[in-house]
Amino acid sequence: MTSAITSTPIPAATPGGKPDKRGVDDYLVIDTVRKEFDGFVAVDDVSINIRKGEIFALLGASGCGKSTLLRCLAGFEKPTAGRIVLAGADVTDLPPYLRPINMMFQSYALFPHLTVEQNIAFGLKQDGMAKEPCQRRVDEMLNLVQMSKFAKRKPHQLSGGQQQRVALARSLAKSPKLLLLDEPMGALDKKLRSQMQLELVNIIETLGVTCVMVTHDQEEAMTMANRIAVMEAGRFRQIGSPDEIYEQPNSRYTAEFIGSVNLFEGKIDKDEKDFVTIACPTLPDPIYVAHGVTGFTGMDVAFALRPEKMQISKTEPAEPHNKAHGIIEDIAYFGDHSVYHIRLDRGTKVMCNFVNQQRWASEGFTWNDPVWISWGDLEGVVLTS
Amino acid sequence: MSNATRTSKWSWLFLGFGFFFLYAPMLSLIVYSFNENRLVTVWSGFSTKWYGALMQDDQMLAAAWVSLRIAFYTACASVVLGTMAAMVMTRMRGFRGKTLFSGMITAPLVMPEVITGLSLLLLFVSLSTWTGLDFARGMTTIWVAHVTLCMAFVTVVISSRLAELDRSLEEAAMDLGANRVKVFFLITLPIISPALMSGWLLAFTLSLDDLVLASFVSGPSSTTLPMQVFSSARMGVSPKINALATILIVGVSTIGVIGWYFMERAERRRQAEMQAAAKQ
Repeated sequence: MTSAITSTPIPAATPGGKPDKRGVDDYLVIDTVRKEFDGFVAVDDVSINIRKGEIFALLGASGCGKSTLLRCLAGFEKPTAGRIVLAGADVTDLPPYLRPINMMFQSYALFPHLTVEQNIAFGLKQDGMAKEPCQRRVDEMLNLVQMSKFAKRKPHQLSGGQQQRVALARSLAKSPKLLLLDEPMGALDKKLRSQMQLELVNIIETLGVTCVMVTHDQEEAMTMANRIAVMEAGRFRQIGSPDEIYEQPNSRYTAEFIGSVNLFEGKIDKDEKDFVTIACPTLPDPIYVAHGVTGFTGMDVAFALRPEKMQISKTEPAEPHNKAHGIIEDIAYFGDHSVYHIRLDRGTKVMCNFVNQQRWASEGFTWNDPVWISWGDLEGVVLTS
Repeated sequence: MSNATRTSKWSWLFLGFGFFFLYAPMLSLIVYSFNENRLVTVWSGFSTKWYGALMQDDQMLAAAWVSLRIAFYTACASVVLGTMAAMVMTRMRGFRGKTLFSGMITAPLVMPEVITGLSLLLLFVSLSTWTGLDFARGMTTIWVAHVTLCMAFVTVVISSRLAELDRSLEEAAMDLGANRVKVFFLITLPIISPALMSGWLLAFTLSLDDLVLASFVSGPSSTTLPMQVFSSARMGVSPKINALATILIVGVSTIGVIGWYFMERAERRRQAEMQAAAKQ
């Protein structure tokens, strides 16, 4: 892992842990798309190229413009400026019913007066498909989502998970060039969610359909997507694979938005080629980072350290730097791991994860215990923005 | 416990009083329709002769037929126009004068009928003068008058249903390749059909019992049932009117009960199916 000192988003990131289905690199081109509502800028000159077969997630808090961008892709909103090009064809000015794009809605939007079968056939019928191939395609889709025995049911006779399968089948029936997912798991309970996430990814990857999804749930984005764009105030803050976004956040915003993080504000103290030290008023000794950063001595930076990257011990670690003394103030026990809230001697509170690898391991530490925390020279990220 | 019982006793009392207030006049009307005496208020024995007399009364029957036809045509036209107005009010993004338009659509709801009737009469008369065409007052003019009134009610019923309709249903249909016209006929209309039905019934009953508007714009050959009843009541109430009213009350409540029964049954089945689905 190297430094992540750039304030601009990384334009085309290398793929992460998931199998890369690299096709044409610019299958979907979003070119400086802007959307304003009565002077309010919902999407602010956003550009991105999306590869063929990629699952791309727009991740952000509500009101960050992710849904508006998705609706621009679907054709329900017309961008104020910018172009959207899909598979070489400019679709910016096409109405939704002429775009080779289908969407799975958050509420599923199954037609209540039509059966499961008729719902799936709806899009095919609009294309004027003959009865028999249409029926074959419907059967195929029902098979794909394992809903064949529910073909004659009405949507209200299905459970939430089954409704979602039907909604997916309906949006895939026309073999769209682009599939849009709007908060795909939003209406499901937590247990069903993790199961459906993987199933959905499997189906999408089997068909090789390019997919843009919108979610506010980071876990969902990280499970499902090849690449994630973190959005804030209508702009992309960072684009990258799930592990890049987590391990190399490029700003305080992304670091804090994805997962939990301890941030130490400070100034660059020594700026050498192969290491830097950061002086933090909240820590007794300067932080030692074993790689160079693009910065200058005296520059204001933040040092981001994930809670699981820290060790906790009762005795003082032998290493010369990157340690601090404090008192356990709070313990959150999650079974598989515990989160210790430790108040350092200079008053700052940090979170530190401890994996309960042995039974009763968590009993080693209790409230008000004086402890030492420490971390490796390469474990944190220096943030300049 | 005793407190609760006492409260419930009082509730029953109020309920009884309310029902008495609402239905005692109708009940006495029904009872007296079987009165043998020709004086409405003097009971002298059971008889169905007034129902027979009603069936012989050609004027009354003709008026009833006129009213039913007008009500039918009014209901149909009001539903078509009301749906169109409701679509504009709920689906079109802000255009100039939208608020004014919405206000004017619903104005007939609060406008005194006497004024609506009078202005329509003036309109018909002046139209005949200006255009030279013959806007003879009759069924057509009553129909137009009733549509202006009923359409406002139907618009309110349908637009409230449209407003609560999940917009993503229409978007999904459009996303799947249906243009706006197809979306309306294949998705919107079927889903709001219960609202269309209740709007139709509302317009039908409103038209059927309207007296004021019809009196202004009717012609010599187009006496509606309420007009006929009103004029014959002025000559002295005949027990025939009681018989007619009884038939109307029984007819309306039968339709009401049947409608309620079917809706209730459908809703109960729906609930059961949803519970069954959730258990899977």
